[in-house]
Amino acid sequence: MALTRRQFLKWAGATGIGAVVFNGCAAPDAAILVQSPLDIPEDLVTGRDNYYATTTESLGYATEGLLVRVMEGRAKKVEGNPDFPLNTGKHSARAEALLQSAYHPDRIREPLVRVGKGGPWRRESWDSAVTRFTDLMRGADPARTLFITSPTAGQMAAVLQGFAAGRGELHGFEPLSQAPLRAAVKNVFDADVLPTFDIAHARFILNFGADFLGTWLNPVHHARGYGEFRQGTDRRGYLVHIEPRMSLTASNADQWVYNNPGTEGLLALSIAYVLISERRAEAGAANALTGGRGADALSAYAPGAVAAATGVSAEMITKIAHAFAEPARGPALAIGGGIAGAHTNGVFNLTAIYALNQLVGNVNREGGVILNPVFAASRVTASPLRTWKQLVERMNDREIDLVVVRDANFVYGLPAALNAAQALRRVPTVVSFGSFLDETTALADLILPSTTPLEEWGAVVPEPAPGYAVVGFQQPVIRPYTGNISTGDVLLRVARDLNIAALPWETMRDAVRDLARQLQQGNRGSVVAPTLEEFWKRALERGGWWDMGQRLTGAPAPRPLPERADPEQVSDANQFPFALVPFETPGLGAGEGAHLPWLQSLPDAVSTITWQTWVELNPHTAERLGVRQEDVVLIESSTGHVIRAIVYVNRAAPPDVVAVPFGQGHAHYTSYAANRGSNVFDILEPAEERETGALAWGATRVRVTKTRSRQALSKLEGHWDSVQFADSPIIEITRQGQSNGNGTH
Amino acid sequence: MTTLQFQENPTPTTQRPPRHHWNMVVDIDRCTSCRACVIACEAENNIPINTEDRFTQQRVNQWIRIERYWEGEFPNVKARYIPMLCQHCDNAPCEPVCPVYATYHNNEGLNVQVYNRCVGTRYCANACPYHARNFNYWEPVWPEDFRNYLNPDVTIRSRGIMEKCTFCVQRIRRATRGRQDVADGAFAPACVQACPSDALVFGDILDENSKVAKLSKNERHYMVREVLGTLPSITYLKKVEADAL
Repeated sequence: MALTRRQFLKWAGATGIGAVVFNGCAAPDAAILVQSPLDIPEDLVTGRDNYYATTTESLGYATEGLLVRVMEGRAKKVEGNPDFPLNTGKHSARAEALLQSAYHPDRIREPLVRVGKGGPWRRESWDSAVTRFTDLMRGADPARTLFITSPTAGQMAAVLQGFAAGRGELHGFEPLSQAPLRAAVKNVFDADVLPTFDIAHARFILNFGADFLGTWLNPVHHARGYGEFRQGTDRRGYLVHIEPRMSLTASNADQWVYNNPGTEGLLALSIAYVLISERRAEAGAANALTGGRGADALSAYAPGAVAAATGVSAEMITKIAHAFAEPARGPALAIGGGIAGAHTNGVFNLTAIYALNQLVGNVNREGGVILNPVFAASRVTASPLRTWKQLVERMNDREIDLVVVRDANFVYGLPAALNAAQALRRVPTVVSFGSFLDETTALADLILPSTTPLEEWGAVVPEPAPGYAVVGFQQPVIRPYTGNISTGDVLLRVARDLNIAALPWETMRDAVRDLARQLQQGNRGSVVAPTLEEFWKRALERGGWWDMGQRLTGAPAPRPLPERADPEQVSDANQFPFALVPFETPGLGAGEGAHLPWLQSLPDAVSTITWQTWVELNPHTAERLGVRQEDVVLIESSTGHVIRAIVYVNRAAPPDVVAVPFGQGHAHYTSYAANRGSNVFDILEPAEERETGALAWGATRVRVTKTRSRQALSKLEGHWDSVQFADSPIIEITRQGQSNGNGTH
Repeated sequence: MTTLQFQENPTPTTQRPPRHHWNMVVDIDRCTSCRACVIACEAENNIPINTEDRFTQQRVNQWIRIERYWEGEFPNVKARYIPMLCQHCDNAPCEPVCPVYATYHNNEGLNVQVYNRCVGTRYCANACPYHARNFNYWEPVWPEDFRNYLNPDVTIRSRGIMEKCTFCVQRIRRATRGRQDVADGAFAPACVQACPSDALVFGDILDENSKVAKLSKNERHYMVREVLGTLPSITYLKKVEADAL
């Protein structure tokens, strides 16, 4: 059939083709220009991003002020808040991993209730679950009720204290207690809050055991100072690190000195002896510290007398002392913490260490220990192991009817010798606010899963502060991803039903706003505004409020040095020949980061190992034990508990020490953590620090036994061979000397 | 015997005069090996999760990594750290070997990888003397929930594709698009932005007042495998080895 032009138009106009044909005829030239096929992805992105300031102290870790990039309702990236005094624009890997916490596939997404004790879980609506919790609280006997939380300061602490008052005992739980540090700070500086350290301006740092660049207190804050300490001025700082293991901080030191575990205090007193006997110390301080007796009071600590016990030669002790008090160097700073406070004599060790700062007059001065003013805020500090032993006993004796847990995994973090899991099973009702099914939450009867830090309100008072009061405001930067309700909001809702007068707030937002109102009325600090609304807006924009104008001045009067206290031998050194040095890693900490794959895959600084539990053995020790790299060994303490670990032959490992990281060995805690590696807490002796009763987590001795198993180490080390090209010069990547070259930054 | 001759002054691949030449300075004396940069990079650039088996199979995908080297034995032992990433060489050995021109040099000094050109020969990885290139041995997989945090500015690379540090080109484009001048330090790649000790510094080397231009003249400066003539865009500053007490 012939198709005339008129017939074609008539037919085409009645069909879809018409649109194409006529549109095609009318196409403007521009539309038929050849377009680049390579539209880059950012050209295709729809939506706009916003950055919201918030603050967090989550993951058992330091406070960091953050800016979170949010796009289309989803958090995309975490950055440091440049305004926030502690981290000034920088952030840690853990802060980054808050994204994975918010969007974790294994989050508990709705309240769960057990059908019968130990029975299966049943989902429940929020209304019904909160009513159930309210009823539980109504019928609870205050003498038989425990509230357990991670240590916290700020409005969450205020809510917890208000809620628990008259309804039960409130206890803080932290796996690696800072109680010895607090006690030492109280002894030396008569301070109730932890001090900070002016690392940036110190020119000589003598550090005992504190992995301050990796895991101790606030590593990002310390690293801000460390960069300047190294290269901020023309005079590069010098770092001496004393520790029985090469930690991240030790590996960055100019001089790492091995000491026998638990002898840090002895070393500090010996250094004090050298300073005083050679008149290198400030006379007034020397007098006060020795009760007027001068060097005679410390003659028992002469370097030659303590060298054998400490494992540090008399010559080295003398050299350290001379360098510490060398005026030409500039400010010298002594820091102690971590493993130095983790023995049965922890308070003695740390007290002796911090007193060294007074001998060189470096308290509340540039480059020294900076004491913090006490900011009036609610605080929940950790209860010591001594108290936890009693609590576990009371649970075992069925003296506890109700345990309410918030962000405290004590079933994982107490030594297995205490068998906290069995004790908790004997408690008729356990309520957990866990967002994830950790070992403690797994034993709960009712779970009211909380929001994660990016989804909730809060006001955080960081400790240590940077030398002046800081309040970090935490705001929800995204809506709760799973529809969960924050612990604070649940407690306040229940408090309303129970008519708790101490908690006048309806929501956590109200609680935070109430603190904002107090700060606004104070009319000082980084945000000053005539109205609460304006203050609120500006404080949230900046991520907090701080008062740089209010600092402590002057140094407290030195008190007498402590009497010698040696570490207690908690088990037989013949049967258990190795001192166990457990250590935190920057990713997993004491186990709280194990559910986040970014943190699991973060290589350990020295060994570069990820995802596993390993034991660091000196090459000669490994040879003596007949084990090779990647052999699996059993590590046993006198508690009778045993863990498995993969051998990592570490040339920096001391011969009589075995080091094993905390973090793995979870039975639960999401698919990324469960049934992976071993939990070092399982073999720890439940030994107490003498004065505070805190867990002496560095006091355990172990033996190591070979097995027939081998397992590949998942490490970065060895991925690429180092090759020296035959005809190329070797480039020295270090430069001798103290100068840092021309131009600093 | 055939020897490879590298050009002293390679010819620019385009005739447009460069407005910027992005460079980085890595001060090893400041670096603590905290690895905040590693995770910041993984978050920014949608790098798949490095699971345990990727480490044991030596197929880890990290665009920036911290290498650790030993010196000595206990007790006189030192650990040395060096952050390693694509050096964005001006005379890059990875570029001429690509049979499909998937990697090229742009006029801002970036060594660019075009993902949808790449056919996965891995010649570039063979050629790179810094081991800075990562091959996607598997299809990248995230649990559905984790996909919420993926960066919409960065393409997800599929199996069989080579990838590497881009100096966060998406951030460069955002900061420079439509602007003649960008203030020094106004933006930074994710690793630089995270680095707590300011060991990493990023900027335009053509701006002689920039921090990176000044630091690259520091007397501690060196370039890794400089002798190969690769002309890296990353300058390292040596760690200062202080005298023992």
